[in-house]
Amino acid sequence: MVYTKKHPALLIMGVIFVAMAFMADTGAMEGLIGFLKNKKYVGEMVGMGYAFGGIAVIIGLWHMFGDHKEGTADYYLSTVAGAIFILLVAMLVRWHLAPFIAVISKGLGPVMGAKYLHQVLGLNYVVLGILAGIIIVNVFKIPEWAENGVRLSRLGLKTGVILLGTLYSLGELASLGKLSALMVGFFVLGAVGMVLWIGRRRNIPNSMAAVLSAGMGVCGVSATVAAAPVVNAKAVEIAYTIGTILLWGVGCMFLFPVVGHMLDLGYIQFGAWAGTGILNSAQVAGAALAYQPDGIETLKVAEIFNITRVLFLPIIVLWLALWYVKHEQDENAVKVNVGKVIFEKFPVFVLGFILMFALSSTGVFAPAQHYKGKYFDNDVKASKMLKDEEVATLSAEGGKLQRADRKEAVARTAENKKVMSIADETLLRGIYNAKILSKDANKVIKKATKAVRKTAGKIKKFRQWITLLFAFGLTGLGMQITFAAMKQAGGQPLVIGGIVGTTKAVAALIVILMFVRETI
Amino acid sequence: MTEEENSSQDTGQQEEEAPKFLRGSALSIFHSDRHEDFMALLFAMAVALGVYVTIK
Repeated sequence: MVYTKKHPALLIMGVIFVAMAFMADTGAMEGLIGFLKNKKYVGEMVGMGYAFGGIAVIIGLWHMFGDHKEGTADYYLSTVAGAIFILLVAMLVRWHLAPFIAVISKGLGPVMGAKYLHQVLGLNYVVLGILAGIIIVNVFKIPEWAENGVRLSRLGLKTGVILLGTLYSLGELASLGKLSALMVGFFVLGAVGMVLWIGRRRNIPNSMAAVLSAGMGVCGVSATVAAAPVVNAKAVEIAYTIGTILLWGVGCMFLFPVVGHMLDLGYIQFGAWAGTGILNSAQVAGAALAYQPDGIETLKVAEIFNITRVLFLPIIVLWLALWYVKHEQDENAVKVNVGKVIFEKFPVFVLGFILMFALSSTGVFAPAQHYKGKYFDNDVKASKMLKDEEVATLSAEGGKLQRADRKEAVARTAENKKVMSIADETLLRGIYNAKILSKDANKVIKKATKAVRKTAGKIKKFRQWITLLFAFGLTGLGMQITFAAMKQAGGQPLVIGGIVGTTKAVAALIVILMFVRETI
Repeated sequence: MTEEENSSQDTGQQEEEAPKFLRGSALSIFHSDRHEDFMALLFAMAVALGVYVTIK
């Protein structure tokens, strides 16, 4: 089979990318950029436009005029058309469509507190990219020349998750790790147990209940796939489970950010909730990025919870194997080696994330104690020192604090007009995340902590890569969500999945609202 | 996690229709999830090395 199509699409897309880069570079788009207020993307338009446009033009010429024979070169080079197609859609959404909707939304005025409609609905480049993908696949269909390359989107997501490890340092992960392990452990085991219990009450097959419990409890589809051979699940049961998980995840991806904004959750709170309540890592990332499109803090917390959840997979697989054997008592069931299944199905890219985290913690990419890619340095310019009125705000509110160490940190900061140590900075960050003080005082704290944090160039570059990979992967993910696949979620699995998923999401939200702001 | 929907969806779909691709699966160009994981790892390492070498 020859995969490369003699089609001008790749060449045309390359020309479009180069033209956009040229226009952005020469100022020909100034009017549009002024209207859309998307000047911050000009650097991306130029850099990525020339880079990807150049690649697309060269390979596009080969697609058009080359001699294509069956083989590895044909197979892999044919994917470039689909990959560039996803990138073009993702970047048009990021650079132009999302800013356009923001302009329209701002024109309508605030609708919820100080937030605009597009912020409340989470209509940013992430959600719009996924929606664009869904519309393309369901209304127009994926063009034949792009079909092979669209299958690269998951590779992009996995690569993005691995690189996300570079943004963590040991201290940060340790503080979040305890919380995530506790919460995730409770909710994963609870969700699995609940699906198994309801499944028995509703008389669905044990194998169906088992794969659904793995999917709803642990890690979406990968857990389903890992558990399936352990409980001898049928293909249709796997398909139904996946349909349920994806449909549930799509709903969550859009609903979670709306609820998060309504409750004014902090980044850590929302990240913890999304990482606990949503099952699919792509959808976790989608919700986190939708909640905080211009930063990566929510995504990082959500991914820590998400990855902690994966680590429960071997335990759940073992549990399901024992549960199935006990309840099925089917002498004809094919015996499976649980250890072998875990070894074969455990997602290796999670180990890649841990490897990157370990490298980052050694100080290879930024000073070892970096936090969110930034490191402490309190050699602050005079212009970034706190002003007298800001010191007054901070001093006036310091009395509200109950913890002596926090009070002292605030007092030291006010006295010196800057943060004096990493310990003080950590305490101030805790006060900020807990939202204990007024918004004005929080603004002062944010300014003071920001001033002593220097950005590491390497981490900044990693952030850009991660954004690109997730935009690519999530738009491609949208192109794989067909209405037919969503319909597969009908019937009992959807009902049980809905009950368990909703219970888990609501319970997790309550726990987070009660404890997370005090814990971090 | 990013998930192995390809393997499982294939299992369900391939019983009803012929596969569209002779290599890889419905949702991946690679023949297995493990292969895709390793490629992601390789790609991420290449990016990390590039960033390490080129950015001060």
